[in-house]
Amino acid sequence: MTVGQGTVETRPAVPPRTAWARLGPHLTGWAFAAPFLVIFLVFLALPILASLVLSFTGFGLGNLRDWFSAEFVGLDNYTRLVDDEIFLKAARNTLVFVVFGVPVTIALGLLAALGLNRALGRLQGLFRVGYYLPVVTSIVAIAVIWRYLLHPDYGLVNALLGKFGFNPVNWLGESSTALGSIVALGVWRNFGFDMVIFLAALQGINPALIEAARVDGATSWQVFSRVTLPLLKPAILFLAIITSSGYLQLFEEPFVMTGGGPLNSTLSVSMYVYQGLSFGNYGYASAVAYTLFVAIVVLAVIQFRLLRSDETA
Amino acid sequence: MARSALLLLVALLLALVGAGCGGGDDDGGEAGDDGTPAAEGELSGTVTVWAMGAEGEELGVLAKDFMAANPGVEVKVTPIAWDVAHDKLLTSVAGNTTPDVSQMGTTWMGEFAKTGALAEVPEDISLDGTFEGARNTAIVDGTTYGVPWYVETRVLYYRTDIAEKAGITEPPATWDELKEMASAMKEKGGARYGISLSPNNWQEFMPFVWQNGGEGATEEGFSFDTPEVVEALEFYRSFFEEGLTSPSVPEGFAVEQGFLAGTHPMFFSGPWHMGLIEEQGGADIEGKWEVAPMPKKETGTSFVGGSDLVVFEGSENKDAAWAFVRYLLEPDVQQKWYTTVSALPSVESAWEQGELSTDERLALFGEQLKDAKSPPPIPKWEQVAAEVVNTELEKVAAGESSPEEGAEAMQQKAESIGTGG
Repeated sequence: MTVGQGTVETRPAVPPRTAWARLGPHLTGWAFAAPFLVIFLVFLALPILASLVLSFTGFGLGNLRDWFSAEFVGLDNYTRLVDDEIFLKAARNTLVFVVFGVPVTIALGLLAALGLNRALGRLQGLFRVGYYLPVVTSIVAIAVIWRYLLHPDYGLVNALLGKFGFNPVNWLGESSTALGSIVALGVWRNFGFDMVIFLAALQGINPALIEAARVDGATSWQVFSRVTLPLLKPAILFLAIITSSGYLQLFEEPFVMTGGGPLNSTLSVSMYVYQGLSFGNYGYASAVAYTLFVAIVVLAVIQFRLLRSDETA
Repeated sequence: MARSALLLLVALLLALVGAGCGGGDDDGGEAGDDGTPAAEGELSGTVTVWAMGAEGEELGVLAKDFMAANPGVEVKVTPIAWDVAHDKLLTSVAGNTTPDVSQMGTTWMGEFAKTGALAEVPEDISLDGTFEGARNTAIVDGTTYGVPWYVETRVLYYRTDIAEKAGITEPPATWDELKEMASAMKEKGGARYGISLSPNNWQEFMPFVWQNGGEGATEEGFSFDTPEVVEALEFYRSFFEEGLTSPSVPEGFAVEQGFLAGTHPMFFSGPWHMGLIEEQGGADIEGKWEVAPMPKKETGTSFVGGSDLVVFEGSENKDAAWAFVRYLLEPDVQQKWYTTVSALPSVESAWEQGELSTDERLALFGEQLKDAKSPPPIPKWEQVAAEVVNTELEKVAAGESSPEEGAEAMQQKAESIGTGG
């Protein structure tokens, strides 16, 4: 008892030690996380938050030196978007890029992965690298080559079409074909990534399942559609989200290939944000950026719902 | 993909944060370069200078001369790439880390004056001897915020051999003659096009408006919906309609290649194309091309570009900074600068000596500079030019809208953006 009381009495002197001891392991953890945390907070969280605030202000060139002088304009920037012809055009272009680009990219990636998965022997490595190469190649190098390919006078594409009697097309110079060309470039550049993911997913499928389906008399198509495809669903969900959120932020392809033209036919929302920033319309450009952000989140949520539905059921 | 835009924002915000943390002593911490006011007549301290492209790499040469004459002053030149210069300068304004002196694109003056970061040019620097068109780029709302450092202007380049084949021996003096010459070069001269005009470049289009007595934009406001602009659009469009110029200019297209190949026997451009043509054409092109002044309508006004020099309000050594600027405007120094980086002098008297007075082609640029102007230094000009003038011009060139509709749309959209002043 006395001993117990004694310990109770000495407690006030102890807490610092126990608190330190309790914090000790956490501290180490925080210390290890600190480099990332600091970089994340300063370079990502802060700008993201700040641009949210900016989007409700008329922050412009005149406010650069004294940034508290920026006028609070409420939702004005957002309501202006609805009537902004150029923004609507950019939004439409971006949507077209996503609607056509995403399914084709995923389908091509799957096709390439399926082909490669049927052992090609030594050639497999070659093709895998070949298809993946565009993903890691500098966009500037790609732009130079594609501009040559699509050149109206001495481009390979027109030369091939010419062999079949087609007239030369000014692919990047006509507003009717420019966006399509950008979609093609985007798909070509990105499907290698999807292929690698699918390849990994395919190799993770237990061969016994396919074997069993075969024994039960399933045709190749049935094996693919009833066994392989359902098992690839997590990969498809992952790629659908990654690819479409990436495509919604379309920037580099039109930036290097067309500069958004002709007649804004390849202008994307991200490019419009960039232009707004370089014109000094920081508040308005932030509002455009946040609108894009919301669109990406909404699309991701929809995809989760659609592709997850039967797994939870 | 949106990374570049995000990076820009991050850079801006970091600059803001930096400004907050830095407090008072954020002039780079160079020892002994500030605070102490210069003694009577004697300059001291450090002057930091930002300059772009080749100018940034070579300016050290002039800085050395200046330092030899002013032993108390140290001039530090920082070269900046052109493509990042605009953002870097804006970031430095936001972060209060501006240099003492900077080179500044002439069409950026309105924007930077608007930020309030530029110092007014002191009265003892006279700009009377500079080209008027160049001088006007630095005057915003009646206040002079910079001095023209070097200039460039656009003239007509044409292939004399193709012109001769088409039966033309004189360069076109009027709009009508320009049109006739383009048709003749295409029909009789065997060229694929008559001329190379860009369907969406205000720098090529606006001179036609000015030549026709129109303005388009002034510091007071916009006047695109005028008969002068409509007529200029009409004339510009006719080259596209009649197939005298290529309907679109591919990204990365270099007009000098078309010029050398003879497919594009005429184009408007600045002095840098002389070197490009000689360099790439070699002996093959010698004696087969010439430059000519802008064809006239009401006037033969051309576009004037180049760079201005500014001193920032945040500079702690303004006396020495302006002294350096004043030095760069001396005719002899302008001459030397021409021989160093081929930058054409903004000071008229610098044209009276050396190669500038003897070379006929160069002298023609000097003549053209006397009738050359730039768009008004309004903060929103870059946006109006890119989003309104270029876009609507392209629609007219493509035949999607009539010249009247184009002019009307330019006016409406420019007004909704405003001058920003």
